Amino acid sequence: MRITCPFCGERELGEFTYLGDAKPARPAVDAGEDAVFDYVYLRDNVAGAMSEHWYHGGGCRAWLKVTRNTLTHEISVVEPAAGVGAAKVGA
Amino acid sequence: MAEFSWEVRSPLERALVAGPYGARGDAGVSLTEIRNFDLVQVMARRGKAADMAGAAKARFGVAAPARPEAVQISDAALIWSGPDQFLVLSKGGKHAIEQLSQAFASSASLSDQSHARVLISISGAKVRAMLAKLSSIDLHPASFPIGAAAATSMDHTSVTLWRGNDRTDGQAVFNLLVFATFAESLWHTMLDSAAEYGVTIARSEELA
Repeated sequence: MRITCPFCGERELGEFTYLGDAKPARPAVDAGEDAVFDYVYLRDNVAGAMSEHWYHGGGCRAWLKVTRNTLTHEISVVEPAAGVGAAKVGA
Repeated sequence: MAEFSWEVRSPLERALVAGPYGARGDAGVSLTEIRNFDLVQVMARRGKAADMAGAAKARFGVAAPARPEAVQISDAALIWSGPDQFLVLSKGGKHAIEQLSQAFASSASLSDQSHARVLISISGAKVRAMLAKLSSIDLHPASFPIGAAAATSMDHTSVTLWRGNDRTDGQAVFNLLVFATFAESLWHTMLDSAAEYGVTIARSEELA
């Protein structure tokens, strides 16, 4: 499997580390225990296109958001994660 | 309090034995450690990428690398190392961290890496065959021309690799920065992969 890093170009899998589901968003401070429990522990087991975080630690050390099909390993989108480099988060 | 005397020693002090290595005859690979350089990591602060680019332009007269490339100016090289960051490689203190701090004071954070990296220059007729054993990067001249750079891994070790100007005899030169504590391990791996072509090992004080 290869991932095309938006900064470095196409690289082998060994340069990347898998983090996991990119969907969960940190709940608001007052969201309550159930929302936090859901955020920390509950994960979807997706069969199909899944949005994931990958870390290009063996290269440019950027966090990437990868859309990968868990059935075929086909990667359709690779984009920088929020706040990569000097980018402002949410800007 | 005890008196300490600090002596700067290359991480390859023990591992590097200058002279021929491996197969006899004309050496296909030349490995040269370059010592005593100034290396500064420049990383833009949050939201300051454009400011850093402007500061680099004002300080060096060229745009900071915004993609994987090494920009050579008369007395330094600016080497891309990741999004919104680059390395400044030079000799003689002119572009050392103290000299750069003012220029980037409001846009970037600087970190002195002069003694944290080992710089190895690799060339020779068999250089691409040797590097192909260690790297997954396509180093064909059409894909990796002079000035091309890559932040990548060799033997599971993070390295910064870029192609310098060709030698006077036309041979391509690949420069490699590796973390000091991983340098000896990678050095032995490089010797293993180069041995069949014959190696000339040297150390130098001159940037390629």
